[in-house]
Amino acid sequence: MALDPKFVGRAYGPFTYEIGREKLREFSLILGGSVPSAGTFGEPPEHVSPLLYSQEAAQAGPYGDVIAFPSFAVVFAIRPFSAAIADPELGVDRVRLVHGEQELEFLGVMRPGDVLTTTGSITELYRKAGMDFLVVTTETRNAKGEPVVRGVWTAVIRPA
Amino acid sequence: MARTFQVGDTFTHVRQCDRLRPVYYAGASGDYNPIHIDPEVGRQAGFNGVILQGLCTLGWAVEAVAVFVGDPGRVRRVKVRFSRPVLPEDTVTFQGRVTAIADGRLTTEVTATNQRGEPVLRGAVVETSLG
Repeated sequence: MALDPKFVGRAYGPFTYEIGREKLREFSLILGGSVPSAGTFGEPPEHVSPLLYSQEAAQAGPYGDVIAFPSFAVVFAIRPFSAAIADPELGVDRVRLVHGEQELEFLGVMRPGDVLTTTGSITELYRKAGMDFLVVTTETRNAKGEPVVRGVWTAVIRPA
Repeated sequence: MARTFQVGDTFTHVRQCDRLRPVYYAGASGDYNPIHIDPEVGRQAGFNGVILQGLCTLGWAVEAVAVFVGDPGRVRRVKVRFSRPVLPEDTVTFQGRVTAIADGRLTTEVTATNQRGEPVLRGAVVETSLG
């Protein structure tokens, strides 16, 4: 059954997230390929920029502190998308859902201690080639109200 | 160190999805969808076990460009379509090409294929600032 287009415009959030220094380092190192062991994130792979994990190197660099790897944004900006998928009134069949497309726009770097608030809404619901498409657009702002990340999240729900 | 870029410049970045990477990425990102951590759920979905989070593959495409430009803080935009899941033990080769340099922005197109030559991303574009 097709998703009801009347849900276009439905909003989710705000969701607030504070970036923790260790979480940010963990994400950068694990994405970069480190092999964690008990209590450590593992040794940094050679290609991973020290700006992402070494405070000493980062202080000498262009940002003055470690920064988040750009796609760390998915950790918090996904919340409205997840909320839409879990919305019982919308009725998405999660077993048939795949993540189809993703767009992220970064308007500034993200640092430890940043308090970020994400809101989002369903911007498209359509059926194509027998599949349902759910598009959620998100915006994340910092504590000053400045936009930091914008996201467009597309789920594809395959036929039963 | 000044670095200049030209349209047509290419780069390659190879990443391996080791056996436990979906579990490690689940912990780091909070994406605990069972299809990424429970082999039985992966089998029910028609795979041989778990599949890697698509957003991890997206992260690797961003990483390919960040390594090329030398600064992850310069990434401004990424857009991808997920065409095929990455599986544990897969090797993914990212090949990038600079397609435009304008208004202080560098635009790159990135392809990502597994060791069988199958594309795992389609139409991937990553933009960075030049300075």
